[in-house]
Amino acid sequence: MDQKSAGLKITIFFCQRIDADQDAHRRPLEKELGSQIRFFPLPCSGRIEPLHLLRALESGADKVYVVTCAEGACRYREGNIRAKKRLAYAQGLIEEIGLAKDHLELIHVLAGTTTTIAQLAEELLAREAFVGPLPVDVPGQERQQRQL
Amino acid sequence: MITAERKPLSEFKEMIAPYRKVLVVGCGSCVAECAAGGEKEVGLLASALRMDARTEGRDLEIKEMTLDRQCVYEFIDQLTEFIDQYDVVLSLGCGAGVQAVAEVFPRAIIVPALNTTFVGETKEAGLWVENCRGCGDCKLGFFAAVCPITGCAKGLFNGPCGGSQDGKCEVDSDTPCAWQLIITRLEESGRMNLLDKVYPPADWSKQQGRGPRKIVREDQKI
Amino acid sequence: MKEESRLKNVLQGGHFAVTAECGPPKGADPKAIQKKGKMLKAFVDSVNVTDNQTGVVRLSSLAACALLLKDGLDPVLQMVTRDRNRIALQSDILGASALGIRNILCLSGDHQSFGNQPQAKGVFDIDSMQLIQLVRQMRDKGVILGGERLTEPPHLFVGAVENPFADPFSYRVLRLEKKVAAGAEFIQTQCVYNIVRFKEWIEQAGDCGIPEKVYILGGVTPLKSTRMAEYMSKQVAGMDVPDEIIKRMKSVPADKQREEGIRIAVETIQALKGMKGIHGVHIMAIEWEDVVPQLVEEAGLAPRPTV
Repeated sequence: MDQKSAGLKITIFFCQRIDADQDAHRRPLEKELGSQIRFFPLPCSGRIEPLHLLRALESGADKVYVVTCAEGACRYREGNIRAKKRLAYAQGLIEEIGLAKDHLELIHVLAGTTTTIAQLAEELLAREAFVGPLPVDVPGQERQQRQL
Repeated sequence: MITAERKPLSEFKEMIAPYRKVLVVGCGSCVAECAAGGEKEVGLLASALRMDARTEGRDLEIKEMTLDRQCVYEFIDQLTEFIDQYDVVLSLGCGAGVQAVAEVFPRAIIVPALNTTFVGETKEAGLWVENCRGCGDCKLGFFAAVCPITGCAKGLFNGPCGGSQDGKCEVDSDTPCAWQLIITRLEESGRMNLLDKVYPPADWSKQQGRGPRKIVREDQKI
Repeated sequence: MKEESRLKNVLQGGHFAVTAECGPPKGADPKAIQKKGKMLKAFVDSVNVTDNQTGVVRLSSLAACALLLKDGLDPVLQMVTRDRNRIALQSDILGASALGIRNILCLSGDHQSFGNQPQAKGVFDIDSMQLIQLVRQMRDKGVILGGERLTEPPHLFVGAVENPFADPFSYRVLRLEKKVAAGAEFIQTQCVYNIVRFKEWIEQAGDCGIPEKVYILGGVTPLKSTRMAEYMSKQVAGMDVPDEIIKRMKSVPADKQREEGIRIAVETIQALKGMKGIHGVHIMAIEWEDVVPQLVEEAGLAPRPTV
């Protein structure tokens, strides 16, 4: 079953340079999916910190994506390399508490492609839900019964 | 913090004696805390060296500088502007600082002014006590936050030895017996059961390393 | 070759055991040890050889034990963890057994700052408790630390020390229990002058069933003089010399003090003989080994039993 239908809560951290008009493009999707999707634009994916990823999971995300520019195409040279390493560090930490590292995933946009953030998000939502809901209760929120 | 003490002047005077221009560099972190190498101490030492030179009729020009941290490149870099103008650098950093500076400026002559001693705490004003030996395998949770390696002269993990008397160590009657303290704390917190099992031999390779130990954090790399 | 430990046989046979300590010379001459051994042989079951006691360099315990063995004695190899790492300790344990030594006493050792090599690096790779466990594991499971199998396990009767007079007093019995749990088969205590306090300790140990699990030998050191009594009382950590003892020593003229010291020692041995839970006496007459025969005879412990 795809992630959208499975009702997984998705958070997407992404480099703004992927879509110059990302602000406008993501609104319709945000309206449609409501709390199922959250977007965090970054001036460069290299600004991501493991802390952001952990907090995203802690506040209810089942799957967190960090979307970077293609390898070698980072405007700031090593931003996407840093993003990769920091995501790996966060994965190590969540594995220590028994969570599958696949709750966090790095996506490199393919070189030369142009896409909108909405298209990208739809693509990700259409993917198979290999990892289920995060087995961690979120205080104050209703626990959803989700079937894969 | 890392503690250090200023070497007796006699130990480094000769090494800097041939030079007319000395850059005295302190550190604002650990050695400042233990009053050995901070800005004040740099000032003190510089003043003493200047007067010493005058009594011996020597020419001596000193520049005083204190870096926030002498073990970090970004701060060491602040010396770049001045270092070539001086014949020798007298470092009031701990051993880590002295060597870090030497690595950044391999052609500079760097002389240590301190004896770096131990990792410890400020027990009270003017008193610093060692409490960690950097074993790389912290066991404080098992010993009521009293390090058996550092606190016990024999490094026993299943102490005390037969020489513990009135809470003092047999080696030095001023030194508390670490094991007396461990037992007292465990008794008071009802956790004596932590001592039931024989604590196994330590993995000293974590402390000894194969030469200098290092820590690598890919996620911190730029 | 698999000779037995005479000490073990004496204790298992229910006899009150007698062991004595022997200090090796500060030199390479084997005759000093051999002489002491020959003098002690008929009066003790086993002889302990100290291991660079007080951090003073002496002929090694291992070598001295080998020499005593040749003269038909049953030596107890004292092994401290101050000077050797686990590689050397395990190696020496194998070597001792191969030579025919059948008893080992596991100690941490006096700190190196007390001896004549204060600049030496104190090793303390493992402590005495871990050493006890290690010898038992090598003997009973045939493996070294880390689990690798030995081609032949060592054959050793394993002992440890305990000081009932050190602090914290409340923990001393628990620590004894821990040593037994770690695998100690016999215990030799620090020397006793305060019989009352010692009795308290052995009674507490008795309440925990310890004397049924381990053989306990009470330590005795004869006093040579008032000065020695005062020195031990004030300068040696973990030693309890009651005022009455010092008074007794003071009450006799200087040339009679040794006699008085011997008398006190004999009384102590007799008190130990009568104590429930005490299986023997360990006489530590350092640099006065030739008084041991007299002590043993006057305490009514000679001749030693045939086992």
